[in-house]
Amino acid sequence: MTTTTEQSTSTLDPVTFEVLKNAFATSVDLMSEQILRTCYSFVIYSRDFSSALCDRYGNTVMQGSADIAVHVGTLHFQCKAVMEEFGDDINPGDVFLINDPYRGGTHFNDVSFIRPIFADDEIIGFAQNKGHWADIGGSVPGSFDVSASEHFGEGLRITPLRVWHKGRFLHDVAQLLVSNTRAPDQALGDLNAQAEATAVCEREVLRLVDKYSKDTVLDAMQETQDYVCRTVLAGLGDLPKGEWETVDFLDGDPAKGEGLAPIRVKLTLDGTGIHYDLTGSAEAVSTFLNSGYGTTFSAIYAGTKTFFPEVPLNSGFYQAVTAEIGEEGTVVNAGWPHAVTGFCSGPYEKVMNAIFELWSHIMPERAMACAFNLEYLLVGGHDARSESSPYFMWYDWMAGGWGGRSTKDGSSATSPVFGTGLAVQPVEGQERLTPVVTTQHSINIDSGGPGRFRGGCGVNKGGILTDATGAVMSYCCDRGRSTTWGINGGLPSIPHGVWLNPSSENPRYLGATFSNVAISPGDTFERPSAGGGGFGDPLERTTAEVLEDVIDGYVSIDRAAKDYGVVIREIDAELDEYEIDEAATGQERDRIRSARASWLEADPTEVARRYRDGEITVHDVIRQYGVVLDWGTGELLEKSTGQFRDSMRARSAAHWS
Amino acid sequence: MADLRVAVDVGGTFTDICVFDESTQKMRVTKVPSTPDNPMEAVLNGVKRANIDLSQVELFSHGTTVATNALITRRFPKSAMVTTKGFRDVIEIRDGTKDDLWDAYSDVSGPYIRRRDRFEVTERVDYAGNIVTELDEDEARKLGRLLKKRGATTIAVCFINSYANSANEIRMREILTEELPEASISTSAEVLPEIFEHNRFNTTVANAVLGPLVSGYVEQLDSSLTDDGYAGELLLLHSGGGSMTSEMVKKFPVRLAASGIAAGAIAAQHVAEQCGYDNAVGLDMGGTSTDISLIADGELRETNEWEVEYGHPIVFPSIEVLTIGAGGGSLAHIDIAGSLRNGPQSAGADPGPVCYRRGGEEPTNTDANLWLNRLGTDLADGEMTLDRNSSQAAIKEKIAEPLGLDVDTAAESIVKVANANMADAVRLVSIRRGLDPRDFALIAFGGAGALHGADVARELNIPSVIVPPSPGVTSALGCLLVDIQHDLSQMFTGVADSADAESVEQHFRELELEGRDRLRHEKVPDEDAVFERGISMRYHGQWRSLQVKMGSGPNALREAVQLFHEEHEKQYAFRQDDTPVEIYQLHLKALGRTPKPTFKPTPVSSKDPGEPIEVRDVYFDGQWHSTPVYQRENLPSGAAFIGPAILNQIDSTTVIPPNSSAVIDEWFNIRIALNSEADEPALASASEKTTQNGL
Repeated sequence: MTTTTEQSTSTLDPVTFEVLKNAFATSVDLMSEQILRTCYSFVIYSRDFSSALCDRYGNTVMQGSADIAVHVGTLHFQCKAVMEEFGDDINPGDVFLINDPYRGGTHFNDVSFIRPIFADDEIIGFAQNKGHWADIGGSVPGSFDVSASEHFGEGLRITPLRVWHKGRFLHDVAQLLVSNTRAPDQALGDLNAQAEATAVCEREVLRLVDKYSKDTVLDAMQETQDYVCRTVLAGLGDLPKGEWETVDFLDGDPAKGEGLAPIRVKLTLDGTGIHYDLTGSAEAVSTFLNSGYGTTFSAIYAGTKTFFPEVPLNSGFYQAVTAEIGEEGTVVNAGWPHAVTGFCSGPYEKVMNAIFELWSHIMPERAMACAFNLEYLLVGGHDARSESSPYFMWYDWMAGGWGGRSTKDGSSATSPVFGTGLAVQPVEGQERLTPVVTTQHSINIDSGGPGRFRGGCGVNKGGILTDATGAVMSYCCDRGRSTTWGINGGLPSIPHGVWLNPSSENPRYLGATFSNVAISPGDTFERPSAGGGGFGDPLERTTAEVLEDVIDGYVSIDRAAKDYGVVIREIDAELDEYEIDEAATGQERDRIRSARASWLEADPTEVARRYRDGEITVHDVIRQYGVVLDWGTGELLEKSTGQFRDSMRARSAAHWS
Repeated sequence: MADLRVAVDVGGTFTDICVFDESTQKMRVTKVPSTPDNPMEAVLNGVKRANIDLSQVELFSHGTTVATNALITRRFPKSAMVTTKGFRDVIEIRDGTKDDLWDAYSDVSGPYIRRRDRFEVTERVDYAGNIVTELDEDEARKLGRLLKKRGATTIAVCFINSYANSANEIRMREILTEELPEASISTSAEVLPEIFEHNRFNTTVANAVLGPLVSGYVEQLDSSLTDDGYAGELLLLHSGGGSMTSEMVKKFPVRLAASGIAAGAIAAQHVAEQCGYDNAVGLDMGGTSTDISLIADGELRETNEWEVEYGHPIVFPSIEVLTIGAGGGSLAHIDIAGSLRNGPQSAGADPGPVCYRRGGEEPTNTDANLWLNRLGTDLADGEMTLDRNSSQAAIKEKIAEPLGLDVDTAAESIVKVANANMADAVRLVSIRRGLDPRDFALIAFGGAGALHGADVARELNIPSVIVPPSPGVTSALGCLLVDIQHDLSQMFTGVADSADAESVEQHFRELELEGRDRLRHEKVPDEDAVFERGISMRYHGQWRSLQVKMGSGPNALREAVQLFHEEHEKQYAFRQDDTPVEIYQLHLKALGRTPKPTFKPTPVSSKDPGEPIEVRDVYFDGQWHSTPVYQRENLPSGAAFIGPAILNQIDSTTVIPPNSSAVIDEWFNIRIALNSEADEPALASASEKTTQNGL
């Protein structure tokens, strides 16, 4: 048998192919099983990791079935970077590390381990495991420095690096790595655990070579990719051809004054594949909310995969889905040395949600409005509960609401679209490890964007710092201004953002991204996660559905009237007894229907004033008027408002009857 | 003399009644149709049909799906949850994850108690167990009155950090009991005294919503059996591979949530032990799915992660069983990219495989086996006739033609894909633990297990396959083989090296007191009570812990740490002797030994299996082989075969493929020995010759 060419014709019988395809999946899932049980990083433990088997060219043959979305489509870049760097000098027993976002990686915390698999002195593939280390050095605990504009202070950049050489552990190299993190022991633990996980995959692949022969396994690796490509192309058969485009926004670039930063996505279906074009997106921003090319491709693949949920992930998928992401220097193709660690809260989910919106036109039966934004709150300092006052890190992320859909409400309190397997942490675990006491962790009333099918509800989490010294707080999020939007007439949810001492006389709004704000024992903080955007006209939601939401406390009586025009009277709330005033509801709905288009034209300075004077709430400002404010001072953000209103006219108002 | 032991295992289709007569040491089995709407009906029917004199029964044990079904259908009584202010939504937020990572339309199901029925009270305990805020008793009492007004019949009390101090929960329960004396109340620290609020709360909520229904069922059954003359305790099989009496079920009904699942695994363990294997894989293949269990060093694997529906964990030790969608009725199909797939969709019982001629159109594993002649056309002693021609037509149209294969090859391909899928699943449960399946035996049972067992074993390089005497009812046997068992645990955090051994010992003694208390409550005499200690540990900084056995005495902790290092290396391929080992949790199994059946071996009489009932051409490895078919019930112990051969019986068909041999052992198990692949060519011709000579 000769080596496979690029367009491999299937030389395998159907059984051997199916068996090997499934066996590749098993070999990768075994890696994941192992790492889940041996990891030291609680971020990995919360399922922020992925595994892949790459072929001898570095292309991905199979990715783990439970992998985090955000790593999708980056593992082959990393494997190829190692191959480029080391060329012929790759040996049995070698293990390489890489986390370089400028060579297709995600961010510094995501460290990939790559082990070549040899049969008969020849490389037949690579086993790869990538996991999020809780800390990788840099100026801020957790290595998420919101204020970084270049990568140098963010953390340790690992270009392709050998840590095992022919089976010998390179102690000095490993020490250099882990000594640049805040928790060297943990990092060393993960280093061992991840390297060992890749050995599990190697063992499985070699078993297949023993059983089926090297050539058969090599053929199957290629055929598995071709199979996926064929599957995607076949799935396009019945779909319309054409072009669709949309724009989503980051909150902005602090260096340029207020104004949302656009991310443009155009989709073309021409019968030969799925093509995206991101040119015209904003210049790289001065914060770390930029994306390198690897993660932008990842967002494109992950967004598209949502509409092809059954298709396995490998380089065959990447063949069928192509993208033009434009020149370096933009938010979606930042390039060295722009800071990119916050890509996950920045362009990543914007690209995914934009893709959801585009495909909602093409596959209405899978349509979905925008989901809440990935967010991380970090409190770091010294834990004064014990005498040694060890360093602590309260590193917290929340579930939130997903967008309303064409047949049902959005999913409430769900992990971010960036990684739906990413588990939120138990409060009881956090309280043992850190001097932060959680005061509430509950579903946020009225957070779901109104719609015929409303967005899922977001969550509210509040905490108080107890016995700590030298504590600082940082936040990595977005969509404090570019609020989670609805489609097909649906309305936005609520802005993200952190409040310090919200119930005190001096509540402080810290915004949706900030870093190193000093806090002291007794300080409380609270933040919501947004709900999902609504799908369809909220005035068409049935009154019975609104009533059920009121009984369960997902929607308040007040917002039932304002957002849905449904007038509900309380009879005995303790016994869930309410009644719908049908006549008043009809009137209210008529009133909203005739007035709402004009609300989007209302004078924004007047809206801002009414907010400052307490006449209207943030829900009113966003949902009725489409106005964007600094939610702390009530100051009008004029340019952002113009952009947001344009978006709302297209996504919401254009669909109202 | 009460010398009968009765086990009743309720399945989706059939309820199996297994009677073991201690005086004759014989077991007999009766099957009656299950009655899902009122499962007790089938149980009592079966007892009647099996002609059991209940006054002669020493022990009646029961595996029931009542709890599991209630969780699936969510037919719950009016329930409520009471929790710490700010934490009403813990069971709805869960850990936020989705089961289906990519399908944005596939949602995790909602919590067992709706938001409107979840209430908060002012109270707070911190991580160390200090009461930061006392329970607001006025609020608590007001809430009690409200719940009464709302008609709550069962209430879950779940407070944050109650695993560290349950005083507020207990006080809340007292107040609720005063206000709602009729309601049943579950508190989280009693149901599951473990850290992590979502797991503890959800387990407690499941306990609460199951309470009235499950205890009602058990009480009713108990009194029916008593009325009919049964003088002993009704034993209910629970997820941990033990049983509990109806009295304890009232308190911990959630433990019955996985009642049925463990039975097959326990039976497999018994068969393995009987045949002298420490390591075995149980392959229980039915109509729609296959349950895979793992026995290592003589013991079944346990897990704490179990759920009926994703996102709603029920955290108790459970026998680890991996269920995959591969069964006799699994559908073979060609996917959109032209590749041959098998399952997980299934034709189920209705319409069933094409050969049932009840409207099924897609070929199934059963159809493929039928066309290959591995399966005969008569099912269940002629009660049902299978139509081989319609199987052929379906395989031809749906599989063979699209792939450009002949029907024979297509049918064999279907079976091979199914076998490979099962082998992959076994690999996942075994190799990932660092275990080498070549040391294992494969126990094949369930309606379809013996048809596929030998091929699956070969796929895994497992040399031996065992098919128990009645593969279709092996699970019921499992119910007869368990002890009364309570799984208790307690959090204990500290570094093993510096931990106070006496304090550890003290904690274990407390757990033993609680265990003894429960066993006495169940009328277990002290001399039959046995306690087994376990300890969960991890390397400092690690997230998962690993449970190992622990003895008692001054060196117990040190030995357990050694065992931890060894077990970590075995399961995860590395150990770190220099890293401090942390203790995480203490476990205690409180066992009340119950009498077990003693099976009597039948001395091997003859190697001669006698005359086959027929000889037919069966397709193996690309060609038709002339193959004798024997009726299993007629075979003497000692009967020996060289493959290929087929053994028929009322509830199953065993395939002994070419390049293998088999013997009926003294327990009437079929023991298949697979020749290694290296030996294949030589032996293949030899086996053909012998077969032709009729042995």
